[in-house]
Amino acid sequence: MEQHPILIIGGGPAGLEAARGAAELGCPVLLVEKETILGGTPILSSYAALTPDMESAEEAMKRMADAATSESLVDVRTETTVVAATGDAPEITVTLAGPKGEEQVVVGAVIVCTGFQHFDPGRETQMYGYYEYDDVITLVDVERMLKAGNFVRPSTGEKPKRVCFIQCVGSRDRQIGNFWCSKVCCGIACKEAIEIREHVPDCQVFVFYIDMRMYGFWEDQLYWKAQEKHKVQFIRGIVTEITRRGDTVVIKGEDTTMGRPVEVPMDVVVLSVGMEPSEGTTAMAKLFELPLESHRFIETVGGALNTVSTSRPGIFVAGCAAGPADLEDSVSAAGAAVMKAAGFLRKHALSTETA
Amino acid sequence: MAEKSSYKTTAERRRTKDQSFVEKEQAVVEGIDISGQWNRMYEPREIQDYDTTYLDKLTDLPGGESMGWCYQCAQCVPACPVDTAGGDYAPRKIFRRLQNGNDFFNHRDLWLCTTCQNCLRVCPKEVDMIQIIPAARALAVLEGNVPDELQEMFQNVAEYGNPMGQSPRKRARWTRKADAAVRVLPKDPAPVEVLWFVGDYYAYHGRGVDAANAMTRVYNRLGVDFGILGADERSDGDSQRLAGEPGLFEELAEHNIAQFRKYQFDKIVVSGPHAYNAIKNEYPKLGGEFPVEHYTQFLSAQMPKLKPLLTRPFTRKVTFHDPCYLGRHNGEYDAPRALLQAVPGIEFTEMYRCKAQGYCCGGGGGGMWLDGYAALHQTERLSENRVKEAVEVGAEVLAVCCPYEVSRFEDAVKSTDNDGKLEVLDIIEILDRCME
Repeated sequence: MEQHPILIIGGGPAGLEAARGAAELGCPVLLVEKETILGGTPILSSYAALTPDMESAEEAMKRMADAATSESLVDVRTETTVVAATGDAPEITVTLAGPKGEEQVVVGAVIVCTGFQHFDPGRETQMYGYYEYDDVITLVDVERMLKAGNFVRPSTGEKPKRVCFIQCVGSRDRQIGNFWCSKVCCGIACKEAIEIREHVPDCQVFVFYIDMRMYGFWEDQLYWKAQEKHKVQFIRGIVTEITRRGDTVVIKGEDTTMGRPVEVPMDVVVLSVGMEPSEGTTAMAKLFELPLESHRFIETVGGALNTVSTSRPGIFVAGCAAGPADLEDSVSAAGAAVMKAAGFLRKHALSTETA
Repeated sequence: MAEKSSYKTTAERRRTKDQSFVEKEQAVVEGIDISGQWNRMYEPREIQDYDTTYLDKLTDLPGGESMGWCYQCAQCVPACPVDTAGGDYAPRKIFRRLQNGNDFFNHRDLWLCTTCQNCLRVCPKEVDMIQIIPAARALAVLEGNVPDELQEMFQNVAEYGNPMGQSPRKRARWTRKADAAVRVLPKDPAPVEVLWFVGDYYAYHGRGVDAANAMTRVYNRLGVDFGILGADERSDGDSQRLAGEPGLFEELAEHNIAQFRKYQFDKIVVSGPHAYNAIKNEYPKLGGEFPVEHYTQFLSAQMPKLKPLLTRPFTRKVTFHDPCYLGRHNGEYDAPRALLQAVPGIEFTEMYRCKAQGYCCGGGGGGMWLDGYAALHQTERLSENRVKEAVEVGAEVLAVCCPYEVSRFEDAVKSTDNDGKLEVLDIIEILDRCME
C-alpha cells in the first residue's frame, strides 16, 4: 500500500526541521510554503543574527532548507497554499493552490508550522508614534539595518548617539488583547543592543523594561553579557509615550527604582514588538477546524506534557503557530510533532495490515 | 498623648528654578509648628538625561568593572550597614545614581563605604565593592578629592608611619609601663617563636595600650617566646589601601616586609584583623609571604595550656562583635568565640547580626578617620547602631578583638546614653582578668 505523505505547512524553522526529520524517519513529506523562498520569518523579515548564538540567519536557514530539500522523500511546493481539506487522518484530501493551479493530494498526517507575525505597533492604544516618527522603529527594523551593516538614525542617516529599547510592546497588554509574554523580545533586545554597541561603539544603549524575562541560559548569554561586557543600561519602568521636540523624539515615563519621572531625548527608539498568530496560522486553524486557545493560537490538547497534538487526531502543530516560542523551542516542537505524526501513521499501517 | 496635628487644607504649589514643590501656609504636626517653608515638600525631579560618563569612568577602572553589573535586586540594601544607619546607601543605590549621571568621584557615595563586604556576601551578581571602592578612591585621591579628615590621616601615616601622627620612636613606649618584659627585636635580634605585630592602636591609643599590656601578661603566663619590632614597625597599611592610597600601602608593606625578613620567627601574630588581612592576603602580592595568625587564633589553638590559667570567674553577660576583616573577609568566626567560651562564669549571648551577617562597626576601609564626614550623611554612627543591639540582647560587656573597636564602641556607648550599662573590652583584657 502506498504511504500517504505527511503534509507540513510552512517552510520556516519548525517546518524545515519537521520535513528533514520526517524524511530521515522514512516518511514521504509534502512541504508547502506560500512564499517563493524557504526559511520563514528569519528570512522574510531580514533577520541578521539569530538569538542567542549570533549565527547569521541567512546561513542558518539555508542550512536548514538544504537539509530538508536534499532529502529525496521531501516534495517542496513553494508559492503554494492549502485552500481546502476534507476527511480525517490518515486520509485527508487537501487542495493545494500553486503556480500551476489547483491540485488535490491525499495526505496521512498534517503538521501546521505557520508561525507568528510581529505585533504591529500602529494600533490605536499604542502611544509610541511608530507611523508618525521616523526614529521610532521596531526590533525587526533594527534587524534589517544590521543585516545591511548600517545602523543609523532613520531621519538623518547618521550614526545615533543614544538609542533605547522599549520592552513589552504589544505583549502583556489587556487593552490590546494580547495577554501573553512573547518570550523572545527581552533576549532579542539584548542581542540587538549588543550588536548596536559593537557597530556604533560611542552610542549609548538603554533598555526600558518591566521585568527582564531571560529564560534559562539567555540570562547570562544575553542579558548579563549586554550589561557587563557591552555596558548596555537597563532601566526599570517602560516608557508611556513618545513626543517630538524639534527634530528629536523624547521618551516619557517613570524610572521606577528612582521614583522619578523621565523625559529624555533619544536618537532612535526601538519598540520591542511581540508575537501574534500569523494570518497563515489563523487561516489553517479555520481550514482544518482546529480550535484556537484563548490567546488565538492553535490549541494543543495534551497539556504541559504534549505540546504538539491538536484536538484532531493526526493533525499536529509546531513552533509559533501554537504560541510564542524561541528557535530552540520551535525546532524541538517540530521534532516532537514528527515523532507523533510518524507514530500515528505507523499505528494505522499496522492496524490495516492485521485487519 | 501626642498633640493634635492640623493642616491648612490649601497648599501652594510653586516652582523654583529647577524643581516644583508643595508648601502649606499653616501646618502643625504633633504640636510643632512647621508652617510655611518648614513643611516644604519637593517633588521628585524629572530625569532629563542618563549621563553615564562617571559610570563609564568607574567601570573602565581595573577593579571598578563590576559596578556596572547591578540588576537592582536590592538584596544589598538591608545588608548595607551604612544604609541601615540612615545613609541612603548600598551598591544598588550607588549604581542608580551613577546611571543618572552622579559624579561618584566627587560625591559622598565614594567615602561612606566601610568595605565590610556584607553586600558582596548577598550579591548574586558579585558586584564587588571591595574592589570598586579602593579603585575609585585611588583615582579621587590622585585628583585631589579627599575629605580633610582622611587627608590628615594619610599625611600622618606617610610622615610618621601611624595615623595618629605620633613619633615613630615612641611606638614601643607602651612597653615601659608593661609589668612584664617585652623583647624588642631590633635590640635583641635572636630567633623568636612569635613576632607580635602590635599595630598602631595597641601601641599608641590609651585603651589599645591597656590591651597591649594585657596581651603581654597573657603571653608571659603562657610562656610564649615573643618579640616586637618596636620603633621599626609601621602601620600595616590595609586601611590606607582601602581608603584610596595604594602607593602608601605599598611603601608601608615593603617597609614591614623588610623588617620581618631581618628576624627568624615561627609565625607572625597580629593584634588586629586589618593587619591580619594585609599580611595574609596583600603582602604576598608584594613578595612577602609569612605565616600569620590573629591573636584569637593563636591563643585558641593553645586551649589546653590556656584554659587551666583561666581561674578567676568573669560572671558577666557578654556578647561578641565580629570584626569584618576577621569574619567575613577571612572566615574566622570560631577562634574568638572559643576564647570567650573558655572564660569561667561567663554568660555568652550572640547578637542578632553575628558571624557572616555581623554588623560593621564603621571603622573599616578608612571609616576610622571619616567619622565626622559620615556623621553629615547618616542619621547615626554604625558603632551606635551596634551598641544599641548589644544592649538590646542584654549584654553587660561587648567583647571585641579589633583594635579600632574599643574606642569606637566606648564613644558610642556614651553617645547612646548607655554609659554604665555596657562595658567594651578587648577579648585579651577579659582573658587577662581571669588569670590570677
